[in-house]
Amino acid sequence: MKIRPELQALRSNDAPQRHAQRHLKSQIEAWRVAAPIGLAEAELSQLAGGALLEDLPLLDALFTSGDPSAGQFVGAFMSRLCAGLAEEPLGLVPLRHFTDDALSSLMLARSGFTTLSLQAFDGVGMARHPLPATATFTPCHSWEHVLAGSAKAELIHCRQAYPDRADLEAEPIILRPGMILTRSNSDTALSLGRFDGCMVTVRLQCRRTNGEVAREYRLEDGLLVHQAAGTPRESRLELTAALLGRMGRADAAPLLSAMAQELGDVGLRWQSMRECLVLDSEEGFRTLCTIAQSPADPLFGPAVALRAQLLETHPQLAEVELCPA
Amino acid sequence: MNLPKIDISALPDLNTLTGLFGSLAYPLQAQKSDDTLLILMVFVYDTIKP
Repeated sequence: MKIRPELQALRSNDAPQRHAQRHLKSQIEAWRVAAPIGLAEAELSQLAGGALLEDLPLLDALFTSGDPSAGQFVGAFMSRLCAGLAEEPLGLVPLRHFTDDALSSLMLARSGFTTLSLQAFDGVGMARHPLPATATFTPCHSWEHVLAGSAKAELIHCRQAYPDRADLEAEPIILRPGMILTRSNSDTALSLGRFDGCMVTVRLQCRRTNGEVAREYRLEDGLLVHQAAGTPRESRLELTAALLGRMGRADAAPLLSAMAQELGDVGLRWQSMRECLVLDSEEGFRTLCTIAQSPADPLFGPAVALRAQLLETHPQLAEVELCPA
Repeated sequence: MNLPKIDISALPDLNTLTGLFGSLAYPLQAQKSDDTLLILMVFVYDTIKP
């Protein structure tokens, strides 16, 4: 393997790398003050809290067709960043970023699960990958402003969702510079097709945290092929519940009982109840009975079935059912 | 009351399982129009001790 001398030198002395990071960080900090990113983050927070985009001057200007703000905003950022990288080519961009042969993505600002990011799609790189076989619908709302380049794409509308499939409808569109694409990602997915050159967009995405899940359907027949938690929080809580169960933490049973009865992700609620039943069968069975007495609860059916199964296997649980909490 | 000790393996899962955040059957396609990757992303370079 060939290792260039400047990289080899970093093995024994990382001072140049630290200097490069400091330099890039100062460039980004200067841009953050001038942009101003503090205001953008405050508006992102307001958007997550339910504010309308038209009431948020900075963000609204970025996503208004014909408004030069988006170009200026991104242009100022790229000037700083490119100047910094020209001086320190081994520096790492101190912002969340990702790149492969088809997509480069860079997060400009974030507040909670609301993000403002910059995307560059490489048509040549994307042509190396097969066309999408599935469409993913995530619990969020997004605004996308095409700054440069164009691409053929399809909006995949989820007309009706069933437990194991969905009625999908494809609408061909052409993304062009200046275009603003606003969509609810939970019922409209974007599927990029083949295109030449590179397309650059700035994207605002606001993720809902109400327990909705991300669903992935096969385009061919609308079959549900996968679903996943809508936010990392639900996954973290589910892992925590499993860990408490494996640790035998019976003192956590009341907490798990409360989690099982909260509104939100049914997967997380069900796993919390399973762990609660294992840690404390009385507390867990009482929780199960509460859910099995609420026909409006999405877990009503599975809870009724599990209650019947447990009563058959462990008849003594009937005493818990009769005993008021 | 003499209550039973219930084994986790005796308790069924829901018919449709919910995967961890970011898990998808075709993740490379999903990331093109979604911020999942950005939310999952973390920095490691500035926490690694030399």
